[in-house]
Amino acid sequence: MSGFFDSIPTHMDFVGQKKAEKLFQTLILAAAVIGLAIGYHYEQFSYTVYSLGAGFVISCLITLPPWPMYRRNPVKWQKRRKETKSTKEDESSSPSSPSSKGKKKK
Amino acid sequence: MNTFLARTNAVFAFALSILAALTFFCAMSTSYKKYGDVVPVKISTARESVRNLPNYQAGRETCDLGMLNFDLEADFTKAFDWNTKQLFLYLTAHYKTPANVINQVVLWDHILLRQPEAKLSLKNHNVKYYFWDDGHGLKNNPNVTLTLSMNVIPNAGMLPIFTVPTTHTFTFPNIYTN
Repeated sequence: MSGFFDSIPTHMDFVGQKKAEKLFQTLILAAAVIGLAIGYHYEQFSYTVYSLGAGFVISCLITLPPWPMYRRNPVKWQKRRKETKSTKEDESSSPSSPSSKGKKKK
Repeated sequence: MNTFLARTNAVFAFALSILAALTFFCAMSTSYKKYGDVVPVKISTARESVRNLPNYQAGRETCDLGMLNFDLEADFTKAFDWNTKQLFLYLTAHYKTPANVINQVVLWDHILLRQPEAKLSLKNHNVKYYFWDDGHGLKNNPNVTLTLSMNVIPNAGMLPIFTVPTTHTFTFPNIYTN
């Protein structure tokens, strides 16, 4: 089961993550402001809470799944080195020096 | 924000923070409201009488027991704003005796739930609790005042008590009824 779930890609790229965060913050805040107006007008605080709940559900639907709009700027990895020894070096050096990983990501 | 769970956590935490802010705003918006002033109330009494009976709760000595019926007309619709869940109403008798300067006896109470027309109309209603004096201060008492107080139970915030400014004053007769 876990293998099946792990096989589903859920990640977003960095630009997509920023976009998603801004989007759900805007959506929830808008739902809160609208709900505040409705609840104040109808003298029912439960309307405000329901409105916020609707905003929460909508923003979950929009920003939780990794929709294609969040994956348009994939990270450009460097090309793999050709040396045959490199795999051995990586295995031996990666636990001791995590900095090499970071360098590679850039 | 990279994984599904991290995003779920971020959205949920943000929504919860906003909910807390909204609730705080709601509590603040009514914290200085004088609920007692927005409720029109009419109180009147009838068939006031005093009996002299032993109050076994206190001892074997006889005490004054006041009897009365009351009418209450009140409209609480304006007290039910967006931060009011329900109202606890109680009717208090205030009077002065030679023995005690301040006497307060709760005669009746009621829980009023939220409803579209929050009106109360009681006609010739009996009191709910015994109107015992701790001595003989009720007979011929010229100045017994009834007030209606309300405890506002809010969705969020303080539990304030307001006394409606409209009161009713009546007199007890100068003979005991048996």
